[in-house]
Amino acid sequence: MQAIEVSHLIKKFGSLTAVNDISFSVGEGETFGFLGPNGAGKTTTIRILTGVSRPTSGTATIFGHDIKHDTINAQQSMGIVSENSNVYDDLTAWQNMLFSAELYHVGRNDREKKSTELLKKFELYERRNDKAHGFSKGMKRRLTLAMGLVNSPRLLFLDEPTSGLDVQSNLIIREVISDLILDGVTVFLTTHNIEEANVMCDRVAIINKGNIIAIDAPESLKNTFKGSQSIEVSFNQNSADHLDELSHLSMVNGVQKAGDKFKLYTEDPAEVIDAVAVYAHTHNLKIISITTLGPSLEDVFVKLTGLQRAGDGIHAID
Amino acid sequence: MQSINQEGYVKRLSCEISAAWAIAKKDMRIYYFKSNIIVAGILFPLFMFLAFAIGKNASPGTLIPGLISITLMFSSSQIEPVSIPMERRVKTFERLLSAPISLYSLVLGESLSGFVYSLGIACFPLVIGVILFSTPIVHATVLVISMIFTAFCFATLGTLFAAYPTENVGEVMSMLNTVRLPLIFISGVFLPISSMPQIGQKIALISPLTYGNDMIEYAYTGKSLFSPFMDIMMLMIFILIFQITANYLYKTFNE
Repeated sequence: MQAIEVSHLIKKFGSLTAVNDISFSVGEGETFGFLGPNGAGKTTTIRILTGVSRPTSGTATIFGHDIKHDTINAQQSMGIVSENSNVYDDLTAWQNMLFSAELYHVGRNDREKKSTELLKKFELYERRNDKAHGFSKGMKRRLTLAMGLVNSPRLLFLDEPTSGLDVQSNLIIREVISDLILDGVTVFLTTHNIEEANVMCDRVAIINKGNIIAIDAPESLKNTFKGSQSIEVSFNQNSADHLDELSHLSMVNGVQKAGDKFKLYTEDPAEVIDAVAVYAHTHNLKIISITTLGPSLEDVFVKLTGLQRAGDGIHAID
Repeated sequence: MQSINQEGYVKRLSCEISAAWAIAKKDMRIYYFKSNIIVAGILFPLFMFLAFAIGKNASPGTLIPGLISITLMFSSSQIEPVSIPMERRVKTFERLLSAPISLYSLVLGESLSGFVYSLGIACFPLVIGVILFSTPIVHATVLVISMIFTAFCFATLGTLFAAYPTENVGEVMSMLNTVRLPLIFISGVFLPISSMPQIGQKIALISPLTYGNDMIEYAYTGKSLFSPFMDIMMLMIFILIFQITANYLYKTFNE
């Protein structure tokens, strides 16, 4: 049985089509990334999948339960971690956990046990009697995730889990998510950060203007857009005068100056690294650092829309 | 098979009630001691009462039933129009909408906190009546029942108005006050319905406060326009209408 099965889902708000006939499935135990810019239809899709909003047409099932007609059973198997860290500021961490447990019908005995276990895992147990009001952004995020896991969900919706967090929170959250994935929990991850999706996801889907324009494994997706790879190089002298000459190096598609670095877009990073080394040598420059970067979400996205504009007929990679 | 189904229904019902009560407890912890809730729940009805009572040629004790009625109406319908828009703003309301509970339980849970709050607040005029003015209570049981039904009816009305999809508390409060304030004048709280003009008497019939106040009046004086049974039936009908409408609106506005 699939964890999520979406078929011809459409959501309209008046004349605006927010989600336009999308279909995809997420297998049990799979980590699935759902990527796209703001206003692409990500939130609308998640609101439908979590039973908050209803589709105009089409179907979505969660472990076989139709989200429209069997909403409560579908919701019972989910954990939802919203981007907004929507904890109750006026309640303590402990009260937040117990409230979440009660909402998800966790048995009286298990509530306290599970809450203790999760607060310890997220390093919040010592602060359990403090109101969330005084928590840092990272602590609130950890508490949100702990609340989302209190019912031991089979499917976890994660919306921008690590966006803008401190290093400690980031590490804890990534570690817990990795453990969940190993435990066979299905993860539906929404993020702007394709590298985060690259690290965590088995497959990703990119949605734009309500349409899914690509679904594939992250590496396959990135390989499809090799042209969006880049080399980031920093010399001992980073004058903007180098921009023009660097742009004429072999296999370089474009150059940007970013702070004390130059970003050279290419389809062949290896060749460009050689060319940059030669360039540095002939101009008597020292290379301070040089890094190969994969495409960002923006790079992939721009490329995708470019292909569509060119009329290549590429709408999905699957 | 039937017993399995029954067992399932009982378990489902128990889960729904428990979740509704969890929502009510959450609201009690967060909102009961917010200054704007206290001011609007206690001071607003008190000042409304004083505005009518001062200068009126009646002993203050006889005005206690009216004070209890408007205290119940204002305090019970005060919590949700504040809490729900605020929770929409910080996105915690989304947490409730995505939880495995029915909208009926959500509406019930939200209303329960206003209901309990208002019963507590209404004890103030009740005690003032007994201690300061020695206001006699003829039917104490009817008084308790009338307070329960009136409080729950207006708590559900508050939850109904909070369905309006805004993050602005003021927007909901102004809409609610457009309804609440006229109810004071048409429900026989300070002016007996029998002394109203014909049109006023007809309008009074569509006000839930008419029935709540009528039953409270009966509890204090033994006299009323309708029978307590009729008052309870009418309040139950209003509760049902408010609950169903609220459920429909929350569903529609979340589409």
